[in-house]
Amino acid sequence: MKYLAKDLMVPIAEYATVSKGATLLESLLALEKAQEEFTRTGYSHRAVLILDKKKRVMGKLSQLDFLRVLEHADEQIDRNNDIGKFGFSPMAIVRHRGKKRGKGVSMGEILSTAANFKVEDFMQSPSEGEYIEEDTPIDTAVHQLTAGLHLSLLVTKGREIVGVLRMADVFAAVFHSMKESESRQ
Amino acid sequence: MKELEKLFNRIVQRCNINLRELTHNVTPFVQDIVAPDQMTKFYAFYGITPHHPLNFQFRHSNLSGSYFLGKCQVTNSLLYKSDIRGDELKKKGDLFRYQGFEIPITRDEEIRIEDSLLIKTLVHNYSHDPEMPEKFFIRDTISTHYANIHGSPCGGSFLGPFSTVDLTTMHDCLIGAFSYIQAGEVTHLKINPGTVWVRKPEAFNFLYRYPFERLTPYIRFDAGAQPKGIFIDFMENYKEAFQRIFNVVNIEPSVSIPENASLDRFSVIKPKTRIGENVLVAQRAYLQNAWLGKGANVQENGYIINSRLEGFDITAHGAKIIEADLDKNVFVGFNSFLRGRPESRLNIGRGSIIMPHTIVDIHEPLTIPEGHLVWGLVTDAKDLETHCISLENLSKVKNVLSMGNMVFEGSGADFVWAFRQRIHHILEENGAFFDGNSKEGHAQRNQNISFNTIQPYPKGDKEGLYPTIIIQP
Repeated sequence: MKYLAKDLMVPIAEYATVSKGATLLESLLALEKAQEEFTRTGYSHRAVLILDKKKRVMGKLSQLDFLRVLEHADEQIDRNNDIGKFGFSPMAIVRHRGKKRGKGVSMGEILSTAANFKVEDFMQSPSEGEYIEEDTPIDTAVHQLTAGLHLSLLVTKGREIVGVLRMADVFAAVFHSMKESESRQ
Repeated sequence: MKELEKLFNRIVQRCNINLRELTHNVTPFVQDIVAPDQMTKFYAFYGITPHHPLNFQFRHSNLSGSYFLGKCQVTNSLLYKSDIRGDELKKKGDLFRYQGFEIPITRDEEIRIEDSLLIKTLVHNYSHDPEMPEKFFIRDTISTHYANIHGSPCGGSFLGPFSTVDLTTMHDCLIGAFSYIQAGEVTHLKINPGTVWVRKPEAFNFLYRYPFERLTPYIRFDAGAQPKGIFIDFMENYKEAFQRIFNVVNIEPSVSIPENASLDRFSVIKPKTRIGENVLVAQRAYLQNAWLGKGANVQENGYIINSRLEGFDITAHGAKIIEADLDKNVFVGFNSFLRGRPESRLNIGRGSIIMPHTIVDIHEPLTIPEGHLVWGLVTDAKDLETHCISLENLSKVKNVLSMGNMVFEGSGADFVWAFRQRIHHILEENGAFFDGNSKEGHAQRNQNISFNTIQPYPKGDKEGLYPTIIIQP
């Protein structure tokens, strides 16, 4: 494969970002705005980057993180809803919560509480294996994505983050290369 | 007193270091929890019997008002009015069964308390940790008023008032007030107040959480304040009655006791009390107008007031039964608070199980039918509908049962079986089935105990510290 990280990355300027201190609702609006740009840029967005005062990336909120926030809001409204840590199966948790929700906390309350949470309280800070230099070949990126179970990597140029390399784009490139190589034989 | 303060600060720091991952600072909770002069005021005492191996070793510790029985070592610790009851420790030659293992016990088990602060805490039973079957350790741990550490080695943990850790090895955990944990092994867990959790992996899992606002009138523990609420007020009401029995050297029982029953010398017995055969009444228990039928027992900090227990009933550590009538074979779990009123008595049917840390506090008469399991907070018949299930119906549960704040998963039949086994074991250990020759238990073995007292340095830098004391056969 001839691709480098920078060939497949989404440039940071085209990615959904919010500043530290933004609320969850503000980050969702930023994501929505980035999605509206989808037809122009060709990128679909599944995460929001959180920037510090110096505009450096300090974390990321994925779709799964957004959903996890709802769980936390549920627990904050009813402090006894954190039953996940007691060793119950997902089925038992779902049934118990479903039964309680019918009588107690509504989804509206949960959404309203979650909307005002600060993004930095729920973002994932990038770990060492989530950075990749822009000139790195894609096969190294494949290794980083699979070893760390990451959905994307932050692409760097020196000390600066210049883009996001998403698993979907890497997959498409690998798939395309495989097809091309097979057809040549 | 300087040494005592240094020791206190050292214990608090060690506990905080262990709990750093939970970002919990115990300092404001314990800073003024026991006035320093209280730590020097009371003597400690230990029991000697022909039935229990003897080895007490106390080093660089304060033991104010605490009681010791069986093999026990205390080092760099502060024990305030705590009961360290080592009469169920494993003995050399025993076989400890754990899952598929049969572990031979090569020396007598010992309770080892190190770098810990225990306030009005009960330590009882034996280590259920298969990795350390001969050492029941409590280290870098702080436990507060009326906590129970029952068969549960603990490291780096904090136990709130009226909490219980039962048959569970615990590392670096924070247990909220009035929480009950029986889960085999727990690490780095923060448990909210009023959590009742009984789990046997691969078999069953029971969880009940008290609504915070309904629990706080009973017990509340905030930083910088003493624990408060109905439970604390209740204990304070009867404090004076206990002061008298600790101040008197020789005390004669005020009621007649059958030869095969045992009434601890440090229990309070008020008039109109009747003690049946094979009854066991432990130290710091309180009986007032109590009718105890054959084989019934009342454990430490158990209160029976204006109540009748027909027989083979268990009042576990810290349980209170007031204005109630219990049919035979009723189990009342740890720290449960069952309060009827003179005109609104509580009736509990034969064979029912009151889960540990249950509150039944009624102003209208209430009957719990026979063979039922009750949990949580019940103040009337309506509450009972969502906090009670027949053992027969529970036995039919095979996956998930959710009722109010309670969730159960697993085999209901296994859960009921495990409880029944344990109830039988407790009755057996306590001598409820003694037939005059065999099946002897605590009720028969604890009759002849000699008590000796020990005291700390009265003044100077070491004021409140006990000198190193080694007591062996």
